Amino acid sequence: MIFDVVVLGGGPAGMAAATEAARSGARVVLLEESPAPGGQVYRAPPAGFEMKPDRDRQEGDALRAALAVSGADIRTGCRVWGLGGGPLVPEGQPDAPFSLSALGADGAPFTVQARALILCCGTHERIIPFPGWTLPGVIGLAAATILLKAQGMLPGQRVVVAGAGPLLYAVAAKILAGGGSVAALVDAATSGEWLRALPALTARPDLLAQGAVWRARLLAARVPVLAGAQVTAAEGDKVLSHVRVGERVFQADALCIGHGLVPATEASRTFRARHAHRPEDGGWVPVLDAAQRTSVPLLYAAGDGAGVRGAAAAPAAGRLAARTALHDLGFSLEHASEEDAALERARRTGAAMARMMALRPAMVAAIPAETIICRCEGVTRAEIEHAATAGASTINQLKHFTRCGMGPCQGRMCGEAAGALLASARGVSVADIGFTTGRIPLRPVPMASILGDFDYADIPVPAPAPI
Amino acid sequence: MKTRFDVAVIGAGVMGCATALFLARGGMRVVLLDRGEICREASGVNAGTLTMQMTRAALIPYALRAHDMWMNMPAWCAGGDVLATACPGLSVAFTDAEAAMLEERARIRRAAGAPIELIDGRAAQAIEPGLADGVKLAGHCPIDGFASAYLTGRAFRAALQEAGVTLMEATPVRGIDGRFVLDTPAGAVAAQRVVLAGGVWLQDMAAWLGVTLPIKVLINQLVVTERMPPVMRTVLGVASGLLSLKQYANGTVLIGGGWQGIGDRTRGGVAVRSDNFLGNVRLAAHTVPALRQARVVRSWLGLEAETADALPAIGPIPGIDDAWIIGSVHSGYTSGPYMGRILAQAILGEAPELPLFPIDRLLHQRSNSA
Amino acid sequence: MSLRIPNVARPAPVTITVAGVPIVAHPGESLATALIAAGHWRFGEGEDPTRPRTAFCMMGVCQQCLLRVDGRLVQACLTPVVAGQQVTAA
Repeated sequence: MIFDVVVLGGGPAGMAAATEAARSGARVVLLEESPAPGGQVYRAPPAGFEMKPDRDRQEGDALRAALAVSGADIRTGCRVWGLGGGPLVPEGQPDAPFSLSALGADGAPFTVQARALILCCGTHERIIPFPGWTLPGVIGLAAATILLKAQGMLPGQRVVVAGAGPLLYAVAAKILAGGGSVAALVDAATSGEWLRALPALTARPDLLAQGAVWRARLLAARVPVLAGAQVTAAEGDKVLSHVRVGERVFQADALCIGHGLVPATEASRTFRARHAHRPEDGGWVPVLDAAQRTSVPLLYAAGDGAGVRGAAAAPAAGRLAARTALHDLGFSLEHASEEDAALERARRTGAAMARMMALRPAMVAAIPAETIICRCEGVTRAEIEHAATAGASTINQLKHFTRCGMGPCQGRMCGEAAGALLASARGVSVADIGFTTGRIPLRPVPMASILGDFDYADIPVPAPAPI
Repeated sequence: MKTRFDVAVIGAGVMGCATALFLARGGMRVVLLDRGEICREASGVNAGTLTMQMTRAALIPYALRAHDMWMNMPAWCAGGDVLATACPGLSVAFTDAEAAMLEERARIRRAAGAPIELIDGRAAQAIEPGLADGVKLAGHCPIDGFASAYLTGRAFRAALQEAGVTLMEATPVRGIDGRFVLDTPAGAVAAQRVVLAGGVWLQDMAAWLGVTLPIKVLINQLVVTERMPPVMRTVLGVASGLLSLKQYANGTVLIGGGWQGIGDRTRGGVAVRSDNFLGNVRLAAHTVPALRQARVVRSWLGLEAETADALPAIGPIPGIDDAWIIGSVHSGYTSGPYMGRILAQAILGEAPELPLFPIDRLLHQRSNSA
Repeated sequence: MSLRIPNVARPAPVTITVAGVPIVAHPGESLATALIAAGHWRFGEGEDPTRPRTAFCMMGVCQQCLLRVDGRLVQACLTPVVAGQQVTAA
């Protein structure tokens, strides 16, 4: 069977897109890696866990409930590894249905085909490397929110929270609420930056109020808040024991640190959609029209994976992508676009926060030479700069010169910093050094899982070359 | 137009680089141009297999000499290194039909100079403990090995600069006027001689000179695993040649063999086909069962050129003085540096150590417009 | 003191073994959570002591938390605890 629409990613954008398309009568399948839909912000706790629901949880539950009754085929716990179809066809052939190969929650391989594909792949965290960031006990800020909100778990007893963006204050407040202590909050942004962001934040009084509550909690707990500061080193024997911020040293058993969010564009790159480098959107993003279309016919993108605007803005973008897809597929839609002012406010606030979380070139410039940038392959800043001097001029060539980005994470963790370092060493913009080519598998896949049962005789070995 | 070079080499893959390097060392003023970056197409993304058992029989004498060059690369390439590693090679047969193919191919390759012996499955497992049971027959070649192809550009770059080659990356040649003025976005580049070394784009390059040289494009898929504990110690293939396997010092296992993906001359490598990806890794896991423990992290594509008779195009371009061509060498990485060396010998007016592969045989029609 | 936040209702704890040593964890929580809660921040040594295996992104991206469960390679952050799991280094 060929679906009308496949939605890749079950965060707020994906849940809303699948719901909207299925409600309109399309045959829809949603593929999600986690055991339940939700994404990172609206992530649900595991079955059997009950914790006091917060606002995010309630919004996530509403989206989950709507999705559950939408009629969409929801496949969670599956790992999508193969992408094909669409424009990925031999020369001269018409575009094919999109084809996604995956492993189900039960480990069984399956493939879905669909006429249209909506990418709602979200983001991953940006970490600007610093000495000791690979030490156990150092985790991402988004990682900390997952532990706190979806696992009911403190990252440590005494935690340093550091980086940029509103997540800092949310994580610190939740650690305090969960009974942990916060040794320090280290905010890369100055108070002046927050002041400049204020006008955009007033569009969302609810968030402003939330932020005020968080800050009050920190104040009450006498947490040192260091503005315009950054972690200079994480140190410890085997595991983290203390965090240096310039001259100051904080004892800590966990450091939660993140410098913003990076759109996950592996799939849109694999489908060869046009991308642009927009630091204010998080980095490389697929180029979209006003109705969420990428440059590839019947391929759409929505949510933070198409440019960071936050979870609140994502469902509307997902719904718009779904309506556009159905329109392009020839469905007649009963209701027209009805995006409201709330969406515009959410987008405005999201954009202000995204700017706050954009890559900070000064922070990259301050990375010491011997710091590991690519933790999969152990490549340091000095090695990247040496490669730049030796002639590496693009991110793909940097991989060849240094193996930076060739490990299991495929540059997802180091790509931003490596790109900024290479661009800076070459004296060009990040846009000039390009992005890494997208290739399957979308995520590392265990060979044993994809092999399945097969007979040697059934392997379709092509004809041999002439002798 | 600032300088007139003695020779312009168009295409900075392994053959273009080697030709340029040896021409410069022979005293010529050389410019080497590439529309992209040095060794970033087939020369930088191939499987790095340095084996006689996938090499066409006619190329074995060349591949043997190139094998020696790869193993000693730092000595002739100003320290440039692709981490070439010598190891035994095995080509295995699981069925009677494959055994028959293996026997015939081993005999032909042996006659061409490759020291291939046929052994049984047990003997093959003694050489390669990672090999699966059920091997009926294996070809064993002690002269084999592999390299890290992605290092090729880095390895050549310093040597080219040391030899005085002017390297112009990201400089697409758009056409050739007269004898020989290359039209590029960086301005005109003039040279006394021209060498076309453009891999699958040789067909387009030959057309600049009014020469019709059909070049077929193979879209070879490759797959690599995550680092894993040692599971094999040879270069391993199957009788049909549709598998190449090797484990690098860092623990990654590279799975190749020429399964076809989607792509073309215009768009380059477009996409890895999931079905061929699966077929390729199944063949790999059947041959080395421990690969079932691996995770696959990446696949990619390399474009290989092939002439009508699948033999190389290396020599002068008929009818156009001082225009030369090099490419379309089957398993071209294996023989590449040696091919560059002998073409450079010919251009320098010396007798090549081994014969070139003139393209007269491949030309159906030709105009004299150039 | 436990890292697990009080006032969260959890399924009854079960036992899994980590490198042969039993630890108690709650079914459904991730293996990454279970290991960290048990004081195991280092999931495996790898090739470089400064880059051991550990949990980092918690969302399946960074690939640093690779482990073996009953012999199969899994990411600790994406794998729920199930009673009796035998966890070893990757």
